[in-house]
Parts: sequence; C-alpha cells; structure tokens
Amino acid sequence: MKRNDQNWHRFLGAGAAALAVLLIAGCGAEVGEEVPAATAAEETPPTAGVELPPLVVREGDGLPDSLPADLVWETNDEDPTFASPEAKRGGTFRTYMLAFPLTLRTVGPDSNGAFAGFLRYNRLSLVAYHPNTRRPIPVLATHWAFGADGRSMYYKLNPKARWSDGVPVTADDFVFSVQFHRAKEIVDPWYNTHYTERIRDVKRYDDHTIGVQGAEPKPLAEMHYQYGFGPQPRHFHALSDDWVHDYNWKIEPNTGPYQIGKVEKGKYIELHRKADWWANDLTYFRHRFNPDKVRVRVIRDMNIAFQHFLKGELDSFGLVIPMYWHEKSVGEPFDAGYIGKYWYYNDLPVPSAGMFLNESDPILADPQVRYGLAHAMNFDRVINTVLRRDYTRLPTFQLGFGDYDNREITPRPFDLDKADEYFQAAGFVERGADGIRVNANGQRLSLRITYGDSHHTPRLVVLQEEAKKAGVDLQLQLLDRSNSFKQMREKKHQIGWMTWNSQGLSPRYWEHFHSVNANKTQTNNITNHADPAMDELIMAYRASADKAERVALARRLEQMVHDAGAVIPTFQVPYTRAGAWRWVKLPAWLGTRTSGSLFNSQALSAGSFSSGGLFWIDEEEKARVLQAKDDGETFEPITVVNRDFAQSGASG
Amino acid sequence: MRLLTLNPLAVKQWRRFRSIKRGYWSAVLLGVCVVLSLGAELLVNSRALVVSYQGEWFFPTYGGFVPGRAFGLDYDHETNYRELKAVLAERGEGDWVLLPPVAYDALENDLREDAYPPYPPSFASGHYLGTDSTGRDVLARLVYGFRTAMGFAFILLLCSYVIGIAIGCAMGFWGGAFDLLFQRLIEIWNLVPFLFVIMIVASIVVPDFWTLMLLMVAFGWTQMTWYMRTSTYKEKAREYVLAARALGASSARMIGAHILPNAISVIVTFIPFSIASGVTALTALDYLGFGLPPPTPSWGEMLAQGTNHLESPWIVTSVVAAMVAVLLMVAYVGEAIREAFDPKKFTYYE
Repeated sequence: MKRNDQNWHRFLGAGAAALAVLLIAGCGAEVGEEVPAATAAEETPPTAGVELPPLVVREGDGLPDSLPADLVWETNDEDPTFASPEAKRGGTFRTYMLAFPLTLRTVGPDSNGAFAGFLRYNRLSLVAYHPNTRRPIPVLATHWAFGADGRSMYYKLNPKARWSDGVPVTADDFVFSVQFHRAKEIVDPWYNTHYTERIRDVKRYDDHTIGVQGAEPKPLAEMHYQYGFGPQPRHFHALSDDWVHDYNWKIEPNTGPYQIGKVEKGKYIELHRKADWWANDLTYFRHRFNPDKVRVRVIRDMNIAFQHFLKGELDSFGLVIPMYWHEKSVGEPFDAGYIGKYWYYNDLPVPSAGMFLNESDPILADPQVRYGLAHAMNFDRVINTVLRRDYTRLPTFQLGFGDYDNREITPRPFDLDKADEYFQAAGFVERGADGIRVNANGQRLSLRITYGDSHHTPRLVVLQEEAKKAGVDLQLQLLDRSNSFKQMREKKHQIGWMTWNSQGLSPRYWEHFHSVNANKTQTNNITNHADPAMDELIMAYRASADKAERVALARRLEQMVHDAGAVIPTFQVPYTRAGAWRWVKLPAWLGTRTSGSLFNSQALSAGSFSSGGLFWIDEEEKARVLQAKDDGETFEPITVVNRDFAQSGASG
Repeated sequence: MRLLTLNPLAVKQWRRFRSIKRGYWSAVLLGVCVVLSLGAELLVNSRALVVSYQGEWFFPTYGGFVPGRAFGLDYDHETNYRELKAVLAERGEGDWVLLPPVAYDALENDLREDAYPPYPPSFASGHYLGTDSTGRDVLARLVYGFRTAMGFAFILLLCSYVIGIAIGCAMGFWGGAFDLLFQRLIEIWNLVPFLFVIMIVASIVVPDFWTLMLLMVAFGWTQMTWYMRTSTYKEKAREYVLAARALGASSARMIGAHILPNAISVIVTFIPFSIASGVTALTALDYLGFGLPPPTPSWGEMLAQGTNHLESPWIVTSVVAAMVAVLLMVAYVGEAIREAFDPKKFTYYE
C-alpha cells in the first residue's frame, strides 16, 4: 500500500498519514453505487473460528458454483532468481521508526502508521510480481487461471502454507478475509469499500482452490494487482463491537518470514525470523530474509537517528535527502570504510510531484496564466543549487509505467520571454512599483502556494525569488501536512505543492482529471479540471482491457494533461540511496529493478513487487570491523553507484 | 507621567540610571541599533542607494522597481545592482552605482552554479557572515530579523501593557465583585496552554505578523494586571487620593492624574524584561515553525537552520551571538532601571 523506506517517505511531499488518506480517498471516491450491507455480523457476534454469514453477492456478480473445466492453469518458476546464494542466515538487523505504532492491527483506526509496513508486507498475497520481470510469481498460490468473463481469477493454494502458529492456510481463510474486511466492526471504511466494490465475490472450491471475482475486466497483467488479496486467519479473529479495542495489541498470525517476537511499548519492536518458515524453499524466497531478528527502535528525530547510525547502533540509514548524502555522510566512518554508501537507480512508478493549479481560481482559470506560470518557474536553478543536481525535472504528471509513459512531452522550461508573452495575453501587462504584474482591473499577479513540508521551503524560496523576475508574486503558505492536504481536497488552494504516491502497473487519470471529481470537496481532482473530451478518453481507458489500446489512450491523456497546463510537474528522484555498515552485505547486483529500498526486510513492497530481504548480516565481518575500529585500522571505502536499471533520461 | 515632566525625582532617577555604566551604555547601543535598523534599507539592501546613469539620477532604495532595461541591460525584471555596478564600471562612461555597505537583501538567493549553499563568510562575495542554505545573506537576515523581532516586541509590549494596566487599575480601584470576577477570569484564562493554541492556529492558517500579535496579546496582557491591581489598591488608600476624592475628583481623574503616575514606577522596571520575552517568544515560535511565514527573515528560522546545518557553523554562531548580545543588553538596561527606581540607595554598582 505504501513504501516502507522512511527516507522515501521523507522525500514525498505527503507523509505516511496523508498518503494513507490519499489512497483511501483515491479508491473511496470511485464508489458511486450503494454499498450493500456487508454482513449481518452485528446481530450475532461470532466467536473465533465460527463461520460468518455467507457473503452477499450482488445481482449480476458471482462465480460459477463449480470450477470451470476449461481453465488454463499458469505458474512461473522460469524467471531468474534475484537473491544471492552467498547470503548467510543470522544476526540482528537494527533499524528505526520515528514513532511507536498506536496499534498492531493491520486494519482499523490508526493502523496506517510508520510501522504498518512491517506488518502488512509480512502478510503474503496469493501471487506477487517478480521485481525484475514484473511477471506474476507464486506466493501463497502455486497456480492461477483467468475466467472467461475477464474479471475472475482462480487460484490453487500451496498446501504447505502455514500461519505463524502452525495452522494451515486454507480456502476458508480467503473467504473469511473478504467477510472480515467487509465487516463494520473493523471500523475501516477504506477496506469496507474495497472489499465490497472492488472484490465482488470469492468462492471456495475445495480446501486449496478458490475463485475471486473483481468489479470489472482488467488487462490480464494487472488482474492480480487489482483483485488479488491475502488471507485472514479465521481461527484468530472474533469479530465484535469491541474488536478494534480488543485486538489493538494482539499479535495476529501471519504468513511471511517474520513475526513480532518482542514488544517494548514506546521503545522498540523486535521481529523474529520463523525458524521453519513454510516458504523457505520456494523458488523466489530462497536466500532471502536473512537476519534472524529485525529490531525497530523508536527514535523520534531523524538527525538523532543519524547520530545513532554513525555510532553503529543502527545498521543502515536512508540517504536520499541530498544533505544527508553529501554533507552528513562524510568523514571518518565513511573514509575508513566502516560504512558503505550505495546509490541505486531503480525503475519504479515516479511519485507525481507537481504544482497543482486550481482552475476554479479566477486568475488561474485562464490557461495563458497557467502556461506563463510554468515558464516562470526556474526548476533548473533549484535542482542545480539547493538540490545539488541530485534530483531531475519530472517531465510529465505520471511516469515510470514502462510502455504507458509518454516520453515525447518536454516540460515547459523557465523562459522569461515566453512567460511574458503568455502573461501579456492574459492581460497582465503592466508592472507595479514592486515589479509584480498588474492587470487592467488593478489585480496583482500574486498567487498563494500551499505546501505541507517545511523542508521544501528552500526549494520554494528559490522559485519565489526567480518568479519575481517574471513579475509573479508567490506567497508561501506552509501548513502542517494533513491541513495542507485537507485544504487542497477542499479545493481552497490556489497552487497546491503536492506529491501523489504512484504505484501499480499503469497510470491513473480518473481520480485526478475526470469532471465528476471537479469542483467537489474530498476528491483527488485538485486542479478542478473538467473537460468532456478528456472524460471520454478517461472512461475508455478505464473500460479497456486491451493493453495496446490502454497504452495509446494513456499517452494521449498525458498529452492532454500537459496541454491543459494545470499541473506543473516538478522533481523526480529516480533512485534510492542508503548507507550501511560494512557488515551488512548486499548481492553483487545490489537490488532489483523495482527495489524502492535496498535495506528493506519485508517480503512484499508497494505495488506487490517482491523485492525485499536481499541483504544479510555477516557476523564475522562485524567482529572484524568493530575490532578494526577499536584498533584504528581502516578498510577500502565503499561507495557504489549502480545504474543497471536506470530509466532512460534519468541522470544525476 | 512625572518621568517625562522632569520632576526632581525623575531627574534623580535618570542620574542614577546614567551612573550605572553598563546599563546606560547598553541602552545607548540598543537605541542606536534600533534606529539603524529602522533605516536598514539604506545599509543592507540589494537595491542601490544612488545610480547615476547617462546624466540621470536614480534612487531605487525607497522608489519603485527599475527594470534592467532602463540601464541598458537585456531584461525586464528588477535590476541586479551589483551586476550593474560591474557593467557600468566596465563601460567606463562615467556612470556609477553607489551600493549600501551590505549589498544583499534578506530575501534574495545569491546562488552560484559552481558551489552549493550555504556559502561560508567571504569579503570577496560581500557575504560578511556567509549565507544560509538557500544562499540568502546571513547578515541581511540578521538585521531585518532584528527589526522584525524588536518591532514585534515593542508593539506587543504596548498593547499588552495598555490592556493589562487598564484592567489591573480598574480591578484595584473598584475592587469588590468586579475585582473578584476578573481575578477568576484571569486565573482561568492563564490555564489555557498558550503555546498549543498558537500551534493549532498556525496549523490551520499561516499566522502573519498581526495574527501572531493578536494571539500573543490575548494571552500576554494578564501578567501586568496583578501588579497594577496591588499597587492601585495600595495607592487608593493613601491620603492624597482621599484628598482628591474629597475635592470631588471623578474616578477617571483620580486614576489618571493621581494613582497611575505613582503606580507606574512598578511597571517601568518590567519593560526591558517584557521586551526580552517578546523577542524570545517570537524567536521560539519561529524556531518551532509556528511563527511568521517564510521567507520572512527571522532569528528563530535562522536558529532552526543553523542547528540543522551544524557543518556550516557561521549560521548558528551569527544568530546565537546576536541573540546573546541583544538579550544581554536588554537585561543590563532592565537591571539599571530597576536600580534607578529603587528608593533604597544601597547598591553594588558604584
């Protein structure tokens, strides 16, 4: 659901909470129909292991009663493996989180904090995507097949699959998962909606065979991502009105490599590797998830956490932020080779960072002003100075989806002549005493830019000063994250400085640009863009299950987004960076195409790519390094830049 | 007020104040700093003081913006006078530019292509105290930040004293139910966690100078009421007030002409410390990010930057030194005033 690398989070304009809201909103907003009563669970509180009432299936939905005979079962173990056979099992990986979680539940109130990823991505799904080839690979399911209606899938479960308490994972756990996530007792509208609106039916054919039906046909390559889900331990949950409270600190059985072993409230959580994990010998899980323990400490400040890292109390630290890579990560432990630095280019959907211009604003309603504004933004200067040439300009609103990308678009460059031309055309001809443009009505070309992250202020003050040259006055409005996001979702902003998390296998346009979401609060169309021609293409794009057609439509849509000028794309970071002590070893190839972080211990990651857990702790090396550090001996410094998966055009 | 009408007591107090050297010189220095900062545009500014161009004189400091084209440069935006100076000198046509001693303003990003900010102090570039992380001149931000902070503290002092004195006086003068009611109200009001209120407000709207002022005054006036209340109570019972009453003076006259001038001496000694607390309060709020919106030059914002960029020590040392100096001077002045107003003559200062 979201990335786990905290530094990645830091880079994103919206924080974890805001992202969660955003995703919830993104999907929630798509619901147009009436939500049927999910279960009748309110009347008879079930106890653990007891069957919930049967699923409500709507008219027109539903899977066949018996398994269709003509299914073509697929599996995949021919794609190359990506873990290193040299990996050694053992040791403790020490990392940190900025706040202690408010709950250990994976659903319900407060369940989307910084620790949630450790829980969520240790709950395996039916299939995952190969992190290099992006093809499905078996996880809980060994085989899968697609139904004739274009929206059904059938899975054969791995009979070896076990919950962490040893109970076998069966088809019933999947049926229960849908019942559970539809239940009102979990107090989680996002999951309620997702499992009623997106997942329409689930059926048990035998203990190890299930069928899943989604809302609408999707390209086959995206089916698992759109409609796949994980099981829920039926024997563990007793749904009741107090479920949220009763299960707040209970440790739920999971299917992944790690389970919570030790909790010291407010201080740390320790995850322990399962000694006899059922998936140890699966093709794509061999030699992965190597540390015996993952200890996640609470350190409430990033600067302080970094000091802990320098002292060797944390094994790795994300260094995406330029200041951390360039200025803080220098000196003794780095020069002496005790800590290595890794700069790794990946090929992931790029977060949509941009300036979102509210078209309902009287000034910004004029496309000439929007174009002029784009030409008045000196992003290159920001990149070359405060961002240390580490970031690059984002050319389009959505990027990093392979074939779907429209690479023919070049972003509007900083060009005072062009800006002047457009502003003149919009009636902003004269300049006032302060150099800011004024139109015939005496209105100043002054625009408010709303943002929610104080460490973006340096970028904005540079833009602000440069924009004065074009006669534009930018007023910076720094709010806290959730309020800045709220203001944009209520469409009260003029310019929203915002980053949308991107994931999945293809770009999304409906939530951001369809007119049904314009001029309405609580939707993600924060530009209030409304264009019937675009609506038509968006609906065609959503309805199409043919990849070639979708690709063509996506590229046209991206061009329309560019032509509308309502989004000024800002920056992209096409890589991850981290530092790690010498004893934390990585494969020679460091990571995978879709590695959002190199030192991620989880089985899955955002977008269901299975890229984590490739590193290992070399205990002998650790003893050696610590000894050398005491004796003042040094090693060869490690600084690795890997561009194996750099996207075309990515430089840095 | 008697202090201003130079009665013998005030003269005595003034002499006494002057005799305390470090307080007196601190006051002088502080006064000079404040006066200079009011004209900061003439000392620290990216706009030139005077430009003589082809026989025409320009005074851009307090005038409107002059596009580069007016001086034969090839752009329409505000002239970069530092560049203009070099250009005119090169042309050698007798045109010249007079720049202020520090030729940068507090908002301008002076960024170079060959190095990343913050840039260290350098006489060659004219950044005498270096720049911050976006290439803004530290000295310029210090000066303008000083003006903002002092201005804020003065206005805050004025507003909260006027309210505090008025209400405190009324409480002491009328007493009874009015006094009781306000005592309880103030006690309750004081329990509202002021910092949280500001944080909440700041997370919803961007507080500008006057919003912050309003908030600070709303929570700052209560302190003075207690002192005024007690000293009014005390003065009210004195014979001269009774005499005035016997002569038929109105309440307003009794308070304004008789009680206030005598009660005020208590207040005067608090003034410097209120200034100091006003400056520190604004700095603290800016440091935490709840103060004035960026890019307003502010000491708190610089302090925050400095602590995040300890590897560029010139930011944090400049602002800490400036802060210590100003607060120390204010404290010396306060100490001297307190001493000067002390009816007992005993002192350590002579």
